[in-house]
Amino acid sequence: MIKLENISKTYRTKEIETLALDNINFDVSEGEFVSVMGPSGCGKTTLLNLIGLLDEPDKGKVQLDNQEIVTYEDKKTARMRNKLVGFIFQSFHLIKELNVYDNVELPLIYRKMPVSERKNRITEALEKVSLMNRMHHYPSQLSGGQCQRTAIARAIAGNPKIILADEPTGNLDSVIGHEVMEIMNNLNKNGTTIVMVTHDEMLARSTNRIVRLFDGRFIS
Amino acid sequence: MVVLSADSQTLILKYYKMIKNYFKIFIKIAGQNKVFTILSLFGISLTIMFVMIFSMTIERIINGSGPEKDLKKMIFSDRVKTILTVEGRTGDYLWNCSRTLCEDHLKKIKSADLISMYSGTNSWEFIFNGEYHLRSQMQTDAEYWKVFDYKFVQGRPYTEEEVINKSNSAVITRSLKELLFAEDNEDNNVVGKTIRYANMDLVITGVVEDPPDVSQKAKGDLYFPYTLLPNSDEKYSGRFNVVFKAQFKRQFKAIKQEAQEIIRRLDAADQENRIILSGPFSQVEKMLAGYGDPEEYSGEWNMLLKYLLYALAFILLPAVNLMALNFARIYERGEEIAVRKSFGASTGILRGQFLFENILMTLTGGAIGIILSYILVALLGDSLSIPLGFMNYVPLSFSFNIIVFIAALVSCFLFGLFSGILPAIRLSRIRPAIYLKGGEK
Repeated sequence: MIKLENISKTYRTKEIETLALDNINFDVSEGEFVSVMGPSGCGKTTLLNLIGLLDEPDKGKVQLDNQEIVTYEDKKTARMRNKLVGFIFQSFHLIKELNVYDNVELPLIYRKMPVSERKNRITEALEKVSLMNRMHHYPSQLSGGQCQRTAIARAIAGNPKIILADEPTGNLDSVIGHEVMEIMNNLNKNGTTIVMVTHDEMLARSTNRIVRLFDGRFIS
Repeated sequence: MVVLSADSQTLILKYYKMIKNYFKIFIKIAGQNKVFTILSLFGISLTIMFVMIFSMTIERIINGSGPEKDLKKMIFSDRVKTILTVEGRTGDYLWNCSRTLCEDHLKKIKSADLISMYSGTNSWEFIFNGEYHLRSQMQTDAEYWKVFDYKFVQGRPYTEEEVINKSNSAVITRSLKELLFAEDNEDNNVVGKTIRYANMDLVITGVVEDPPDVSQKAKGDLYFPYTLLPNSDEKYSGRFNVVFKAQFKRQFKAIKQEAQEIIRRLDAADQENRIILSGPFSQVEKMLAGYGDPEEYSGEWNMLLKYLLYALAFILLPAVNLMALNFARIYERGEEIAVRKSFGASTGILRGQFLFENILMTLTGGAIGIILSYILVALLGDSLSIPLGFMNYVPLSFSFNIIVFIAALVSCFLFGLFSGILPAIRLSRIRPAIYLKGGEK
């Protein structure tokens, strides 16, 4: 489902060059749930951004759903992100001006879709995260757990094959964190491929595989 | 009935949903950033208010009303420049046409259907019943009443014979009649009564409805034959204007050629003076040419371009101000834009969103500006005059005109586009990775 070959990425500022990923190879099979661990600044988020086509590697090949990304042409990558990938972020990143329903609808507004299907998708996603009773609430009216569940609903509303989660439980207490993990495990059981960045060893162990990054390289 | 395919319906729905989403964001953001919203709306409203009043003025000047309702069928010659050379030194006059130039030359042009000469509007001060009054008078020929469409409520205009015979005839407006002859009613016929002007007792032949305040040419209270006053004009410069009326616009070209040919002949025959005639110009051309030197008139398209550039600069300055405000706010929107990018918004869609919001903002400001302009015009009414620099003061009155309305809408749209395009480009280039991590921006 995900294949990275000889990927390198360096961030450059006027003063400094930071090698975020150094010639890495990474494969994730369809339906796999992989945890990426490592200290801060080791390149975990960069890895997710490259898989999610939010960033372009300096070197190497990215392949998603058996399609090699040859050019990073804006429209094409936007379409692939919309169809293939759902993001879950540590800080939820809900649009505060929109209510839960509209936030969950976000990936769908960039697609052509009949009205009934659109409604079904949103309802289905909200049911999966048990937030039907909060659909008209705004992010400021929700708890942290509810925000993250909204973010998960948004990530799955478009039925993506891949979910990229960047420390999804990082801002939640352990009880809520486990609830979120349960939802993600259920998604994975239903066939969604998940790559999750986490610092939590316990949560990582509940996934199929753990990979560890250090200074831009995988370590065994 | 048009039936849309399922594919078209879903496409429409997609854009409907996107726009609804943008609209919600616009409303929320406008409410959250009140200072920004007020600052933006203030600049836009003020600009649109001026655009509206400017457009109303232009529209009134171009289309004419009352006696000037056929303005589009008329062209005017009202400026002549005479350059005199005496003992190697030159001096010039720039004034209206002389009586002789009008009578002996310009009125003989064959291409026009009707030609009239008339003086400019002169102020007329008098004391009546112990009170001071300021009105205006015009001296005209008989054709004047055929060219301009005055509505006679009593009597008739003075005839060509009366003009030639220097008859003490006069036409007055209804308001002047009300003032001077008190009880105004339909039976109070003042035809035949006299009115005193400059030691002359003028016999009233007719009473006309007052021309509207917006009239540019036909705007006197008292009219009498120009022959009543002695000819004190210079050889070419004087106090008269000439209007040529033609059924078809194609006649205008011939009239202009004839007029310029006359001037060329006069110029060639005159060893002392050089003469340059302005026009004859239509009202639009005149507006562009202004009352300036006919030698400086560089053709209507050049002038039009010049005024369009002024208008553009007028819109551009507040647009740049709004642009600066928009740039300052880009980082506030960074997180939202990054999230939208993550979920499939392309750069083009994001630019579209920002432009949509900005145009919505300018349209809101425009709506306020339109309301303000109407309130201003309604409150100040005819006393509101716009010194536009290239025309007389034009009084305005409350009216709705679709062209003016469209001009305001187009201005709002351009305003939104100018002020939004660069910030939209900058915004769409935001790197989502930076904002989603919450790192350094």
